[in-house]
This record gives sequence, C-alpha cells and structure tokens, in this order.
Amino acid sequence: MATACTGRGLSFLRSLTRHVRGTALSGRPPAGLHTSAALEVNKNWERRNLQLYPPQLPGEPRRAAEVHHCRRQIKYSKDKMWYLAKMIRGLSIDQAITQLEFNDKKGAKIVKEVLLEAQDMAVKNHNVEYKSNLYIAESHSGKGKYLKRIRYHGRGMFGIMDKVYCHYFVKLVEGPPPAAEPRTGLDQAQEYLLGLRSRTVRHSL
Amino acid sequence: MAVPLRRTLIALHRATCNNLKSADGWVDVRQPHPLVVPVRGKKRHFIPPAVGIKEKTKADPEARARAAGLVFRQQYVERSINISCTAGIFDPYIPPEGDARLSTLSREGLKQRTEQLRQSAASQLAIRKIKEHDPLFNTKTFPELAQDIFIQAHMALTQFNKEKLHSLVTERCYPEMTRGNRLKTIRWSFVESLEPPRVVHARCPDMVTKTNLYGQVTLRMHSRQILALYDRFGRLLLGSEDEPKDVLEYLVVERHVVNPYGRWRLHGKIVPAWAPPKDPITKTVLIPGPKLKPGEDFDALQFEVPKPQSVQWSK
Repeated sequence: MATACTGRGLSFLRSLTRHVRGTALSGRPPAGLHTSAALEVNKNWERRNLQLYPPQLPGEPRRAAEVHHCRRQIKYSKDKMWYLAKMIRGLSIDQAITQLEFNDKKGAKIVKEVLLEAQDMAVKNHNVEYKSNLYIAESHSGKGKYLKRIRYHGRGMFGIMDKVYCHYFVKLVEGPPPAAEPRTGLDQAQEYLLGLRSRTVRHSL
Repeated sequence: MAVPLRRTLIALHRATCNNLKSADGWVDVRQPHPLVVPVRGKKRHFIPPAVGIKEKTKADPEARARAAGLVFRQQYVERSINISCTAGIFDPYIPPEGDARLSTLSREGLKQRTEQLRQSAASQLAIRKIKEHDPLFNTKTFPELAQDIFIQAHMALTQFNKEKLHSLVTERCYPEMTRGNRLKTIRWSFVESLEPPRVVHARCPDMVTKTNLYGQVTLRMHSRQILALYDRFGRLLLGSEDEPKDVLEYLVVERHVVNPYGRWRLHGKIVPAWAPPKDPITKTVLIPGPKLKPGEDFDALQFEVPKPQSVQWSK
C-alpha cells in the first residue's frame, strides 16, 4: 500500500530508508530493510541451550541441568500435535517414551524421536549424569510455515488449501518429575469462592 | 480503509513539500501534482504456486540465458592462505622415564639434572639455525619468556579473549585448547614454579621449500597450578579452586623464524607414556560393553574394563 505513491513522495521515502541501512545484528537482517515474513525464522528455542551460568558457590543447592530441543517444519497439524505434547507434560522421560511408543498417532513417532535425540544431547553435551534422571518440564507445539495450494471446487470456484506444518518444542530438566499436587473438587470450589470474594467492585453506591 | 490511507498520503505529501521549501538554495519548486490513490480491484494479489509450476519447470533459466547470448566469464575462486604454523610436532621429544620422580641427591638424579642439551646434535643444529635468523635467541633467557607466554595464554583462555589467545597460541593449538570450552567456565591460576624451566629439545623443520623454516623448541616446566572447571550450569566438573597441584609439563613453542614478524607461540604439549593417570571426573560414565550374540549373557565378573594404552601423545 505504501509503495503506491508517486513522484515526490516516493523519492522522500527512499531517502529516509537509505539512511537506516545500519550493520547486521548477528544473523538478523539490518533494521530498516523490509523482508517478507516468509524469510525470517525464529531460532530462540535453540539459543536457550547456549546460556552460560556463572559457577555456583559452595553453599548453593545444585542447579538442575536443562536441555531445550525442538524439531521444525514437521508435516503434521499443530492442533493434533498439541494432544501429544499435553499428554507427556510432567512425565519422566522413560514414561513419556513408553507412552508414545504405543500411541497410534503419526506425531507420536516424531515426538519420540525428538525425545530420544534430546536425551542423547543431554548426556553428551550438557553434562547430565543419568539419562533416565530427566523429566519433561515444558512441551508444546507451534505453527510452522504453511505452503498454499489450490483446492478445486465446482463451477470454476477454488479455495486456497494450506499444507500445514508444525514445530515441536521440548524442555528436559534433570531430576525426578515433580509430584503433581492432587486437587480435589473441594479445593477447586474453594478457590472459585475465593476468587469471587476478592473481586473489587468499582463505582458502587 | 482507503480513506485514512488517503489522508496519511496527503499529509506525507504536504510534509515533503514543506521540507523542500525550507531547504536552502532550492530555487525551482515545482507545483505539487495530485496524488494517485490506489483502489483495490478484483485482481487476486496472491495465487498459490501450483498454477505456474509447469511453465517454470519447462524453461531452464541457464538455457534461456545462453540462447539470449549472455556469456559468463569463468569465475576464478582464488584465495591466498598464510601458513604461519606447522601441523604438528616434528620429531617429538621423548621424556626420560622417572623424570622429576628421583631425588636430586642420588646418582641417577644428578645424572638427570646435569643432562644438558649437548647430548643431542640435532637440537644444537636446530638452535644454531634459529640463532641465524633471530640473533636475540638465547637458551638461558628463553625459558622465562616461554613460561610467561604460557601463563598469559592460559589467563586469556579463562577470560576467553580470542584476539590475545591467537597472538599467544598457534593455529594448531587453538582448537585443542578451546574445544568444548565455549559453554564452560575455566578458573586457572599459576601459583609458583617449582624448578626453573629449561630447554630440553629443539628442531627446525621446513615446510614446502627448504628455506621456509619453523623453529620448535621443547621446554620442561615443573610448577604448581590451580585448575577448576565448571560446566554450563556452574557445577564443578574437575579440580578444585583451593588445592594447588604439582604439574610437570613439556611445552612445545613454535615460531616461523623466516618471517620477521613471527612470534614465539605455544604450539602444544607432550604427554609422556609414563604420565600418571589424571583425577577421575565427578560423574558416572557409561562404558560400552561387549557385543553379545542373541542368547549370550553378560558376565560382569569376567568382563575387564579396557584401560587406555600408555603411549606418548602430544596435545
């Protein structure tokens, strides 16, 4: 839309953007250069593995090792992948792998591969002592870059079909899985009542 | 949606006209033309790629360019390489067994202590060659300089100062020192030197041509050092910060003698075959077991853990 100006306006805009060339910031395109969303890829999850912590003092409790792993552009739907990600949240790694092995979904095989890769990485690169001493702290799926194709309908009509891709992210933490607090119906009801009672009523008489 | 767009375009147009009028020395201001506002029609802006794929695959862009008469000159990818260090340690020094184990008062100890460089003719020749190109080289003063380089290189490693490390350590030694250290914290300090360092070996190999000489000098260093290695999460991997350890090392320092700007840099270390095993790491490690045929059982009592061979190697 902005590109459709003519004459003086366009040259003015050009002079503005010429100023803002700048230096490349570690792999990202220079600010001011307009790239389409299809070219920019987010690698933040992988970068979390490069965070270095300072040495711990002798009195501190031992910091648990964390491993972030992901797989990008899996040919599967993110909504279908969510079910598998939700299933393995909070389980120990052995339990999760066992559950996925006997799951019939297409995504289960892929998630199992990702977990095994992450376990291997943890032992080799991140100084995790026992490969079974890991649990799944975070696990979620995200939308990948879709391809668009034509879906033919009758009467010369057509629709644009999305070929869906998804990403799968997992974070393994060293240690036994945290015990899930049992929340009874009574607890939930009490929490609900607390929420109702702590409401602030504004502009009341 | 077209109305606010039009307003912004008109405002932008007015701003440009004002800017142009305020600039000094602007003589001929043309009258502002009426802007053309885009109107959205029925044209589809995005058509999925399946429509035009057949046409694209048929037309080969290279063939089309050749048919059109475009000729690309042959591209010469040439890049000059500067080899400023050798790939390894030529004719490595074999440290005598029991070095620094015997007391200096016994006969064998005295023999070892008085072992001078005179024993090896090749070393003397090499030192003579080095002195030809670098007249300031002296076997008496050089060990101190080399020890200084060693200390500075390791301090740069703890801070991970890449530029300084490259100037103190050769290109062959750099990856060996820094591999796997990016996500680790190293705490190292040099407490004291137990014996004065001395030159024990020297060689002057040449690469490619006879005149392209590199000088390699081996030093024996007995010192006390503190080393503590922490992993990515700040947990202690190896060593301790309170306990200094006595270390006997054979360092190899190298210089491109023919190059007037060459400097003596740390090239590697020689680990003798009789070196004592290092302290175990604070971690349980899985050793791969024997490959079993189906039906066989793993006999834990008969299985011997493979020990590393005691050979001299350089790192």
